[in-house]
Amino acid sequence: MSKIIVKSLKYKYPLTEALALNGLTFQIERGEFIGIIGRNGAGKSTLCAALSGLVPHFFKGAYGGSILIDGINVKESKLSDIARKVGIVFQNPFTQMTGAKDSVTEELAFGMENLAIPKTEMVRRIDDALRLLEIENLRDKNPFELSGGQMQRVAIASILVMLPEVIVLDEPTSQLDPQGTEEVFKAIKRLSNQGMTIIMVEHKTEKIAEYADRVMLLDQGQIVAFDPPAKLFSLSNLEERGVRPPVFTRVAKGLDIHDQVGLYPVTLESTVNEVQKVYESH
Amino acid sequence: MTSISLYVDKKSIVHDVDFLTKLIYCCVFIVAPIITGAVILGTFSFLVSLILIISAGALKKLMPIAALSLFVLLSVIIIQSAFIQGYHDVLFTIGPVHFYREGLIHASSIVVRFLDILLAFSLIVLTTHPADMVETLQRKGLSHRIGYVILSVFQIIPQMAQTMKTISDAQRSRGLETEGNIFIRAKAFLPLIGPVVINSLIGTRERAMALEARAFSAEVKHTYFRDEPVYRYKTPVRLILLLLLIVSIAWRLL
Ligand SMILES: Nc1ncnc2c1ncn2[C@@H]1O[C@H](COP(=O)(O)OP(=O)(O)O)[C@@H](O)[C@H]1O
Ligand SMILES: [Mg+2]
Repeated sequence: MSKIIVKSLKYKYPLTEALALNGLTFQIERGEFIGIIGRNGAGKSTLCAALSGLVPHFFKGAYGGSILIDGINVKESKLSDIARKVGIVFQNPFTQMTGAKDSVTEELAFGMENLAIPKTEMVRRIDDALRLLEIENLRDKNPFELSGGQMQRVAIASILVMLPEVIVLDEPTSQLDPQGTEEVFKAIKRLSNQGMTIIMVEHKTEKIAEYADRVMLLDQGQIVAFDPPAKLFSLSNLEERGVRPPVFTRVAKGLDIHDQVGLYPVTLESTVNEVQKVYESH
Repeated sequence: MTSISLYVDKKSIVHDVDFLTKLIYCCVFIVAPIITGAVILGTFSFLVSLILIISAGALKKLMPIAALSLFVLLSVIIIQSAFIQGYHDVLFTIGPVHFYREGLIHASSIVVRFLDILLAFSLIVLTTHPADMVETLQRKGLSHRIGYVILSVFQIIPQMAQTMKTISDAQRSRGLETEGNIFIRAKAFLPLIGPVVINSLIGTRERAMALEARAFSAEVKHTYFRDEPVYRYKTPVRLILLLLLIVSIAWRLL
């Protein structure tokens, strides 16, 4: 059975007219890396909130359809139970620090304290998370003293220690400098390699093309396409949807370089491959 | 790290006493002088607290608190000894203002009481880690929501002040006057409020969401990552405090 099964999901924020999510149906398999793209206001953040249960448990409003995660219905479950299945990471690293803890290890412990995890188990999970995200050297630092990239990795670690099976990331690098962005992408890559199911909203399409197994394009609360990167970025009307394909794809489209089935390359590697083929045939 | 916590992280006998015992100390040392009504006992309590604070190595952090209260105390003394009607015994005169002996005595008893309370509370705040205070109360049944609010205030307020400064620097670099007389500054301050308030409102909602993602509203009895510190001297100190209370009640009755 699929990890995540979404059926006819509809959602409207309180006091608004338009549906923020307008009839989404899709499935995500265990261990997949899913990229979500689309223009501002397309409904990406709302979908993240729905997958992590913040919709409809934190944001009220009108809700229709269903999300099943591991057989659990998000609408019928408590947020604290969903938190054990799905972790969510937001844009702003600063607002994800509790502000009530004065070291990174204590910050990581916060969620586990709420779930009444025994101390010895906390210590074990914290050590694992710090190692995986390569922030062991920060363990005794005050969270607010860290750089953006470090703080964001602490935010990811603080979710990781709750041992979710799915991690949702809503533009996790949009407020970081290039170095912080690189650090965070590397960390997410490692999580994915560990078999974690990853769902990430991201504007940097080069990164999506490199990492994602499938990409979901949203517009006006609806799924326009949900395909592997090469297929999705080969669509012709992306710019109208507020999406810029990866730079390689734009170059390849300009030169009309594509593979046998008409798909344009989306990563550096595949572009080099296709270009080489063109050379050799001449 | 900027934090408005006044905690002084040192090792001392006072640090080794648990929060509840310190709370009891605070109550006894405030209540006993009031029960007995003796100014001398108030002075004694005040001195004991002062000595304990010094022995805990926290005198330096006491200074800002002391400086702040000095202002209050001075005004109490001046008002009590110079401007209250009905006193006769003039002690000295500055310009047109007479200072009365009775007023000064009355003022000094207020000052002693005030200092007594101030130092007893300072003793707790200066020598107990905020997280230990809150977690002690949580283990005794304080709601973890209230506990969270208390603890986060120590860090989030300085962070808001930092945001304020960042924005005001940005505004100044765009040519907004943020220095000068009070009106100029008020005019510069108003446009600042918008961004800061909006920032902190959005921040608050995001933080609330992030907390929920970490099972903040789980309805189970929490565990604690911080070990309960090993406290010493709990029983003897509490016994001494009890004895002091009994003695002061007896003093009053006899
Ligand atoms: N808290 C909210 N209350 C009301 N409407 C909202 C709220 N958050 C988002 N919306 C609306 O829902 C739609 C989808 O927004 P969002 O999911 O944030 O888009 P995206 O993340 O793709 O930019 C937008 O029209 C937006 O105005
Ligand atoms: Mg968004």
